[in-house]
Amino acid sequence: MVDYALETFDLTKIFESREDGVRRVVRAVDHVNIRVRRGEFFGLLGPNGAGKTTLIKMLCTIILPTEGTAKVNGYDIIHEPIKVRSSIGWFHGETGGRSLYWRLNAEDNLRFYAYLQNVSRDVAEKRIDALLEFFDLSRERKKLVKDYSTGMKVRVMLARALLHNPPILLMDEPTIGLDTVSAVETRNLLKALNRELGKTIIFTSHNMFEVEQLCERIAIMKSGRVVVDAAPSILRDMLRDIRAVEVEVRSVDNLSELIDMLSNLSIVRKVVDVKNDPIAVTVRLQVDDEYEAIPLIADRLHRLGVKVSSIRRSEPTLEDVFVRLARGESA
Amino acid sequence: MKVEDILELLKEDKPRVSSELTHVWAVFWANFKIFLSYRTWVVMETISTVASIAMYSFMGIQVDARRMAIAGYEGVSWLSFALVGVATANYLWMCISRLSHSLQHEIREGTLEPIVSSPINMRSYIIGQSLRGFLVSGYFMTGVLLVGVYVLKAPLTIRLENILSFVAVILLMIASYMGIGIMAAGLVLVYKKGDPLTFLFATVTEFLGGVLFPLKYLESIPILYVFAWLMPYTYALDACRKILLTDATIISTQVITNLVVLMLYTVVFIPLGLRVFRWGLNRIRYEGTVASY
Amino acid sequence: MDVEKLIQIISEDIPRRKTPIHRIILSFIIRDFKVWWTYKFWLVLDIAGIIIFILTYYLFSFITTPQHIQEAGYTVGGYFTFALIGIAFQHYVHFAVQTINESIRDEQWNGTLETILSTATDFKVFLLGEVCFSFIVSSILLLMSILIGIMLGAVFYTTPSSILAATILAMLLIASHMDIGILSTGVIMKVKQGSPVTWAFSWLSQLVSGVFYPLKLLPWYLEWLGKAFPLTYSLDGIRLCLQSAKDLTSPAIVSNIIYLFIFIVVATPIALYVFKIGYDSARRDGSLGQY
Repeated sequence: MVDYALETFDLTKIFESREDGVRRVVRAVDHVNIRVRRGEFFGLLGPNGAGKTTLIKMLCTIILPTEGTAKVNGYDIIHEPIKVRSSIGWFHGETGGRSLYWRLNAEDNLRFYAYLQNVSRDVAEKRIDALLEFFDLSRERKKLVKDYSTGMKVRVMLARALLHNPPILLMDEPTIGLDTVSAVETRNLLKALNRELGKTIIFTSHNMFEVEQLCERIAIMKSGRVVVDAAPSILRDMLRDIRAVEVEVRSVDNLSELIDMLSNLSIVRKVVDVKNDPIAVTVRLQVDDEYEAIPLIADRLHRLGVKVSSIRRSEPTLEDVFVRLARGESA
Repeated sequence: MKVEDILELLKEDKPRVSSELTHVWAVFWANFKIFLSYRTWVVMETISTVASIAMYSFMGIQVDARRMAIAGYEGVSWLSFALVGVATANYLWMCISRLSHSLQHEIREGTLEPIVSSPINMRSYIIGQSLRGFLVSGYFMTGVLLVGVYVLKAPLTIRLENILSFVAVILLMIASYMGIGIMAAGLVLVYKKGDPLTFLFATVTEFLGGVLFPLKYLESIPILYVFAWLMPYTYALDACRKILLTDATIISTQVITNLVVLMLYTVVFIPLGLRVFRWGLNRIRYEGTVASY
Repeated sequence: MDVEKLIQIISEDIPRRKTPIHRIILSFIIRDFKVWWTYKFWLVLDIAGIIIFILTYYLFSFITTPQHIQEAGYTVGGYFTFALIGIAFQHYVHFAVQTINESIRDEQWNGTLETILSTATDFKVFLLGEVCFSFIVSSILLLMSILIGIMLGAVFYTTPSSILAATILAMLLIASHMDIGILSTGVIMKVKQGSPVTWAFSWLSQLVSGVFYPLKLLPWYLEWLGKAFPLTYSLDGIRLCLQSAKDLTSPAIVSNIIYLFIFIVVATPIALYVFKIGYDSARRDGSLGQY
């Protein structure tokens, strides 16, 4: 039997709310079954609102599931919450540093959580020193957190997740509020923690390139469901395979005619997205070959009398991937 | 500091032992530090507390000693009478509201989520938070009594056995209300606001407990009189007055029934409070509202 | 609705006149009332708090002697009536100051202050609007407190002309405290913390203005300090009117009125000036929208 670091069994969370007497039901997480092996670097990808954070919070035992359960480090999240909590380091980037005590300084914040995590005093002090230095906060360690920038707060929160050296790290958008340099350093640290110390890392993001670069395996979530669970090579192939062109034209009289014309071109696979602003219309297309498509589209639009601002090759986005998945073109 | 150094550091690990005492200490210590950062508040609160007892000393001039005697307080100065009332009522109110107040703050600031996601037993959290409350409100209570005795010359019995008895009754009083405090905190978790209710609770307690007047005069309104003797605070205040104004101690027969009643409330309400709190915490974990920013 | 229709409606312009001030003020009052009404629960608690407070002093009055109160010249009613007037009017001004503070703080917090100040309304008109509302609400609560007192057996000795004099004193009292409210709001905008001015005023005036005891019982330095507070003069005047049926022909009443008048004349420009400083500094740091 394989020893999984994390295993979910039909994990489901349904939020019910009442707005003006109308009951609203949101399936934030919908029968999710994932398994993460020990030492695996696992990426959870999805647009905002896909249910990533709710899933992570259920694994942290902060949110109780409506249905199903999960095992973290072999412990049940419903019945053995304290054991689960000792096994995880949780980071939640979306809060933008709100989950710290603003009226304490960085080291007092870390000390507090070190005690809660049962780290012995001497070990805690050593780690606090080192982590503050690593995250470039040594000079400001005595300053109250309320005077920190968002980036600094995020770094304190990252340090907090590592303090007690947990076997499993739940990293919810860890690079969200960081500048480019800190983001790179954080990614390097996570990679090293995974490779050298065998930490299991669950990493969520809505940035595909980040996930593709770091993770050994990825799951893509959409509307509470896991739609893909595969090696990143699949994603990489798909990304390599997606060729997209973005066309920007001055506002047009008949938008649907324009879209029809574009989607009927033989080189266009699919119209992915249309943004209609008063200043410009932007149409995103998946094509067979962008270098052939660009002159062809330019020519057609010119003949139609549409004023073109730009046509350019574009990096694939998560939206492109979903379109591909919907058409069943995945492996 | 390089990545390798961090890895090296994390490798040398000592076995972790869970200790509830450490958790209690951590919660107490962090919250006490936060409290100290509100220096202006402490200064302002101290000044207005002193001002309010000065006010009682002027009110006391108008009191008719004969009418105090009718109510069973013969030869007792009204200022001392009121001082014991005000000191204990404020202490009780600060202790009880502290927990729900902090929780409300932690939910709003998002700091409760990392606490719930760490392996701390909620019991330790409640004790740590409450200890902070006891200490801070103890400061104000001691201040009120000291200013009363040494500045305003209110006569109180301050022999060691009376002081020790007073402390014991205060501890019992807090214990008897602890359950209600925890229950309020549990409700705050779910409804996110509790200030209005605790405020009403404090006003009613202060009034019915007879902080400013002998309860004998409440007999003219029988319903309120009955309610007054349903509250543990009334028993606690009565015992405190017997100890500090007359010469009773904790082993005196006049005090013993009061202590029994307080113990009874303690035994009934603490388990009830913990149950409500657990219900509240699970409910917000189910609703996903451990933080509500 | 499509864009063309909307444009058509907006561009149908009637020649613009300045909205008359009373209309603006009325719209502020209506808006404040609607917002305030959503806090019904707080209102109930406020009222419950006042009732309990009055009950406390009702019971306290049983153990007092009326001797000191009669010596101070308040002939009828004894301690309970004396304290009732003190409590009711102290709440009256406290509530008025608090409402101004809170409504402006809320507006700053919610970001609506920026919106209002970006409309073509002068800030003095805006302030007046806030003030009028708090005046109406606190007057209702005042009448209610007096009524509760009467039900508990408070006794007054009045004539129509003494009630008139008391009303004038009450108006002057509230006007003087509006200045304090405006001033402390200016301080709030500048320091962005709970107002120390309101705080100091509330405990100091409770201590030295004779809310719970006649001023004669205070040591000379506190009695002297009390003379700086408008509440002291109003309470003395109002008690003379309601407990001894004094009216505008009495020199004691007239001198109280003159003092309050001077206070208002001096304090209003100062309060507006401090408010303007706070307001301008908040605009300078761009912190109107935050608190």
